[in-house]
Amino acid sequence: MAYPYEHPRESRMLSQYFGDQDAIGIDGWLERGGYKALDKALGMAQDDVIQVVKDSGLRGRGGAGFPAGLKWSFMPKDGVVPNYLACNADESEPGTFKDRELMRWTPHQVIEGIIICSYAIRARHAYIYIRGEFVDIVRVLNRAVVEAYERGYLGPSILGSGYELDLTVHTGAGAYIAGEETGLLNSLEGRRAEPRVKPPFPAQRGAFGMPTTVNNVETLASVPHIVLNGADWYRQWGTEKSPGTKLFSCCGHLQRPGNYEVALDFNLKDLVYDLCGGPPEGRELLGVIPGGSSVPILTVDELDCDVSYEGIEAAGSFQGSGGLIAMDDSTCMVRAVRRMVEFYAHESCGQCTPCREGTAWLAKILRRIERGEGREEDIPLLLDIGANMAGKTICPLSDSAAVPVVSSIQKFEYEYMAHIRDGSCTAKR
Amino acid sequence: MDSESKLVNITIDGAEVAVPEGTTILDAAARLGIVIPRYCYHPGLSAPAQCRMCLVEVEGAPKPLPACVQQVQDGMVVSTDCVEARKARRSVIEFLLLNHPLDCPICDAAGQCMLQDYAYETGQLRRRAVEPKVVLGRDHVTSEIVYFGDRCILCTRCVRFMDEIAQEPVLQVVNRGHYGYIDTMTDELFEHPFSMNIVDVCPVGALVNEDFLFKARSWDLDQTPSICPACSQGCNVALGTKENRVVRLKPRFNPEVNSYWMCDHGRREVVRWGAGMRAEVPMVREADRLVPVDWSRALDAVVEALQGAAGGAKAIVDPGASNESLYIVRKLMDQAGFDGGGFRVPRGPQYVLKGFPKLALREDRAANARGAEALGFERVDDIYGAVSGHQGVLFVLEERLEDAPAGFADGCALFIYIGSVLSPAARRAHIVLPSPSFAEMDGTFTNFEGRVQRFTQALLPPGLARPLWMSGSAVLARLAGGEPFSSAAAAFAALADEVGAYSGLSYEKIGLTGAVSASAESGATAS
Amino acid sequence: MSDAMHPAIAGAQPSQRAEKNPDAPLFEGAYKERFDHILTRYPNKRAALLPVLHMAQEIRGWISPETMSRVAELLDLTPAYVRSVASFYTMFALRPVGKYLIQVCVGIGCDLCGAEGVAERFLELTKTRIGETSADGKYTVVEVECLGACAFPTVVQVNDKVYEGVKAEDVEALLKELD
Repeated sequence: MAYPYEHPRESRMLSQYFGDQDAIGIDGWLERGGYKALDKALGMAQDDVIQVVKDSGLRGRGGAGFPAGLKWSFMPKDGVVPNYLACNADESEPGTFKDRELMRWTPHQVIEGIIICSYAIRARHAYIYIRGEFVDIVRVLNRAVVEAYERGYLGPSILGSGYELDLTVHTGAGAYIAGEETGLLNSLEGRRAEPRVKPPFPAQRGAFGMPTTVNNVETLASVPHIVLNGADWYRQWGTEKSPGTKLFSCCGHLQRPGNYEVALDFNLKDLVYDLCGGPPEGRELLGVIPGGSSVPILTVDELDCDVSYEGIEAAGSFQGSGGLIAMDDSTCMVRAVRRMVEFYAHESCGQCTPCREGTAWLAKILRRIERGEGREEDIPLLLDIGANMAGKTICPLSDSAAVPVVSSIQKFEYEYMAHIRDGSCTAKR
Repeated sequence: MDSESKLVNITIDGAEVAVPEGTTILDAAARLGIVIPRYCYHPGLSAPAQCRMCLVEVEGAPKPLPACVQQVQDGMVVSTDCVEARKARRSVIEFLLLNHPLDCPICDAAGQCMLQDYAYETGQLRRRAVEPKVVLGRDHVTSEIVYFGDRCILCTRCVRFMDEIAQEPVLQVVNRGHYGYIDTMTDELFEHPFSMNIVDVCPVGALVNEDFLFKARSWDLDQTPSICPACSQGCNVALGTKENRVVRLKPRFNPEVNSYWMCDHGRREVVRWGAGMRAEVPMVREADRLVPVDWSRALDAVVEALQGAAGGAKAIVDPGASNESLYIVRKLMDQAGFDGGGFRVPRGPQYVLKGFPKLALREDRAANARGAEALGFERVDDIYGAVSGHQGVLFVLEERLEDAPAGFADGCALFIYIGSVLSPAARRAHIVLPSPSFAEMDGTFTNFEGRVQRFTQALLPPGLARPLWMSGSAVLARLAGGEPFSSAAAAFAALADEVGAYSGLSYEKIGLTGAVSASAESGATAS
Repeated sequence: MSDAMHPAIAGAQPSQRAEKNPDAPLFEGAYKERFDHILTRYPNKRAALLPVLHMAQEIRGWISPETMSRVAELLDLTPAYVRSVASFYTMFALRPVGKYLIQVCVGIGCDLCGAEGVAERFLELTKTRIGETSADGKYTVVEVECLGACAFPTVVQVNDKVYEGVKAEDVEALLKELD
């Protein structure tokens, strides 16, 4: 699923084997050049591996965009205490479905990236924290892990190098906030997935109090390609600040929804209208959320930018997770925002007062407006609540909940006013 | 201040202060007398920085920072009262009040509630929400503590007390997000010897002690510093009194003794003390009956009796008596020839507070066994056996003698009872001097490790009851010369001169945090 | 189940199956072996809590207070703590559920494409209300947040099987197929 629409304008580095059943098992993966990067990495000095990833400019693909090589370089190198790697496979950002495909079609690509990263950061144990709902993907991943152990890619002395690594697939149990890196660490430790105050950062005190690197699935899947082919090769795609390729999960009102892998200087409008085919016949797009529900909505006139981190930021939103959600003119914007805010209210861990109480309050007001009981003062009230929620909490879930509210009021206020004035809706049925 | 740690200069609200590296903004502000509002932060617990009440603006930082965990950096410029900081604080109050029942008229916390306090301080007094409030119920968490779900602000102080200090994580947050509430295991209560501290740490009225429920308004209570007498730990407490009764005990912070905590046993016990029939007037035996007299006649009787006394003086004392009272008894006994005295200590199991192991509910369930020892009295199992057949003078100080055998003190030439409750055995005395309870006078106790601590008078003693340092010293002055003591402090000063263990100590030195004496030597009193 | 028996595997197998044994012991036989493997993957017992709860639910179908107490005992935790963690996560059923736990995704991707109608159709045909189990014990319908398969809305997960592209008119056939 979700891969099936190939397009010649894609740059398929990560996703070239999506849909290829034979690529899943280890033999198929080896035939396709798998684990060559690992072999090369094990022959390099660990710091050189970190350096090539740094030079490649690879940025975290989970949503924060933090430079991966830099993150790896924060890890202690003296081995006084054990280091850990946690692969963040908790993909829960609404509209995002790329990590699941990476794990489903090319689990060994991900595992190879994990082993290379673990080697570079001197980790002895790596965890894949995968959301518990992905039951069939967990099966595929477990099979791949067993295969890797059986063939000597995991366990003592990998490929005879003397480097030892254990990998554990750890399933979550239904909590979006476990995708926040410190929420993930708490969940891994058998606790409520409540984010931690930073500092200390995971590289100082992470899993079980030990230095830990947390990286997204797609970030780690990119690593073997970078190690095998070099930083310059990786930089053939994208921009100076946003090199490489990225998977964009496109969903909502599109003719050809699915994952598309494009270079990071690809045009966003082309992604929506050319690759995804734009909205269904006879409809116009109202707005596009380029990176998962936590980033601002862009109107149709704001789409002419490239999909790099800086490009989308200049357009007024963020690349985020790359979960692109398209809304056409059949969408009631108030309803869509209400649904998104309800998500945050349901997923808030509850620690911080503004988030715990604010998300629920926003949802209640939006439901009230949606059913025609809104008041004009609700608009400034929503904006003020949003301002009181943003930048005031341990983690950015609170900010994320405010984003759709603020951005939809900024750009679609008429929709709210229709509901408030006479309970009507401007969505075209 | 540790001369090793580097000092850091910061500015808070325009005022400069130098603090050691590693100090939080919250603590640095406290040095300037600025109290930054907070809920989840408590100095005796971890700081989760989750209530977001303590957010302050720091120049150069893109977002406001939580003062309770943010460490100062050299040159930091902090504002706690700029527009942004005020707005952030006010919004936290608004968020907390969204579903709060505002039942202050029936809530025990009223008058000592941090939600009330900060709502007024921030000026957040108008409700903007029009949606109905979520209602949660109330539920027992222990047999005596009730949790009011509506009032809870999920600061998790109670959870963290049980986890970090009691080290029995039986109280937890259940559910996620705005569905969250505090509870024990499903359908279970928990019992813990230190459970009531969760009521103390709760900043609002979400956790309530049923024993205190609806008994008093916090602003009706006087708070008097004292020492809990229920065991030999000597927790520093504040007696909450109303209409001349102790209604509530709360711990006072003392990092050397009990930190911010105290046990449940002490709280329960002391509230019950002083109830029931009290000895209110001095009495003298005339023709086989005890007759109430005034102090003048009573003291005359004591002086006369002691002047003619023979056969030595024995005593039964209570290990809950103050050092001053014990000292006077000792001196009076010396007048008649000290022949030994004993005390028995009620005992119970010890419970150490794991997260602060200096504090335990001690096996000695009395406040001053060590003080009694220091004055030459002996711990015995059978207080009656020690005095049976005695024919001289018998002093009994505060021991209630409720299980005294028939014929107790029959042969004693003189039996003087000093105490607050008169059992049948006590009424066999020749002279009864009514004495106040620990809450009704000043005095000191010496705790299990030799720390001398002051308790101060919180209540008026009933009737004509007077502390022994006052009445007894008048007798001593007439028997041995010198002046009667004019205060408990003066009595202690005399005591400290004579007892090597307390040499150099005084009420001034002891203050309200206590002072450690030299190791107790028994019977080191000059005769 | 064979991969599940590999010592390196701690992750959940389907933690919601059609067959539920609420009174089955925790843990015996192959499950005991898996329990022992799980404990070797973490430096302390607390960290094994999520995989162990998944396994308990796999066996018993839900996490009862008794299950919480037993798991607490096995991992040196307090029952209250296990309850706190179990109640934090959506996947742990704290009440018994029907043979088929029908989870309809209402994430924004599916909501934009008719998820509400799909959920309503499920409720209609199973004669239940959201979160309640049908009288014959067969179905419980719940709405869940984004299941991460947004390109083919609406996504419906029944126990451990994921159905994609479910429209309201497909629901009847899907329900028939379950048995």
